[in-house]
Amino acid sequence: MRVKKPVAALLGVAAILLASSALAHHSRAMFDQTKQVTLVGTVKEFQWTNPHCWIQVLVPDLKDSEAAPVEWGVEMGAPVELMRKGWKPGSLNPGDKVTIIVNPLRDGQPGGLVVSVTGPDGKIIGHPAAPGSRAP
Amino acid sequence: MRVRAALIAVFVLCGCVSRTPAQNLNSKARVETFAKLPDWSGMWEPDIFVGQADGQQFSEEALRKMKARAEAMRPSFTPEYQAKYEQIRKSIQAAIAADPLHPPATHQPLCGSPPFPATFTPGMFEWRVTPEETTFISTVGAVRHIYTDGRLHPPKDLLWPTLMGDSIGHWEGDTLVVDTIATKRRIYMGELTGFFMPMSDQLHFIERIHMVNHDAIQIDYTVEDPIALTKPVHAFLTQTRVSDFDRMLEEADCEENERDPVVNGRFTTVTH
Repeated sequence: MRVKKPVAALLGVAAILLASSALAHHSRAMFDQTKQVTLVGTVKEFQWTNPHCWIQVLVPDLKDSEAAPVEWGVEMGAPVELMRKGWKPGSLNPGDKVTIIVNPLRDGQPGGLVVSVTGPDGKIIGHPAAPGSRAP
Repeated sequence: MRVRAALIAVFVLCGCVSRTPAQNLNSKARVETFAKLPDWSGMWEPDIFVGQADGQQFSEEALRKMKARAEAMRPSFTPEYQAKYEQIRKSIQAAIAADPLHPPATHQPLCGSPPFPATFTPGMFEWRVTPEETTFISTVGAVRHIYTDGRLHPPKDLLWPTLMGDSIGHWEGDTLVVDTIATKRRIYMGELTGFFMPMSDQLHFIERIHMVNHDAIQIDYTVEDPIALTKPVHAFLTQTRVSDFDRMLEEADCEENERDPVVNGRFTTVTH
């Protein structure tokens, strides 16, 4: 059974750690991990890079068909982390239709931390996390 | 021929002909010593991530472990350092209150090796055990050299604070006992947005590292600092064998595509 817990709340409980799981490349405090936003759009670019992979996705405004799509930048783990979950450098390509669930940035910018990505074939990309994995 | 033989004899007598590394590596004594050492080959990662699906979901078991360990690791600061600790906390809380949408960056994004003892946290690890040294390597760029050749720490005038400090060790059966000094004078605190708590130049770590079973290595810590702590902190970490991946790929090259820079003391994200 998995329990969904925002990291910030978790750390509030786990008051002091000498070597915390939160001490990764950077804090995730800028993402609101109590919220999820679903983006339906088209991949502009898939950046298979360190220290994080990124998806640039164009999300059309459903309320205004004439408005320009909004470009979101959504952050994932490092390539090695994604590989452990079954991702490959070519898992996404420009033009792919995707559905991405993210924890949005707190400041309202069009960005977030990826929770899951559903590819053009309607399947979630990557297999369920193996024990111990941190990605995406 | 006589001249050549004489020259060789002179070289040997004066020690000019050193033993080659290959000869050392294959010496009977070394091979026998090597054979007695435990086999920690393979890849490892913190068990704290077991059950963690995507960075925000933890199994109940993982939550229980984290809480228990955090409580066990709670330092008891001396009055001087308690005051420093509270001052840091207040300043971070004030910064959060001033701009909740842009949390303060209490440390720079970590690119490359996290400082010891946080070294053991992110990424995947390898342990290379040899008679002379046990080397710890992580995918985020940390490399620890734990010398087991009988040497002592260097004299104080040759030591200064470094990311990994200076580590010497010895074997007690299958347990590697490690003594580490001269680390950066700080420990990481998981509170708030996470921050490093300053410690004194007396900061000293003792680890007992052993393989619990084929799939687990445990590291028992004792953290001493008679200037900053009223009593030593005892803690432990467990590493789990990685079974779904077989390559050490580095993951902390921030020059490649860093999009989470710290600007004016706060974490930011470049969305385009």
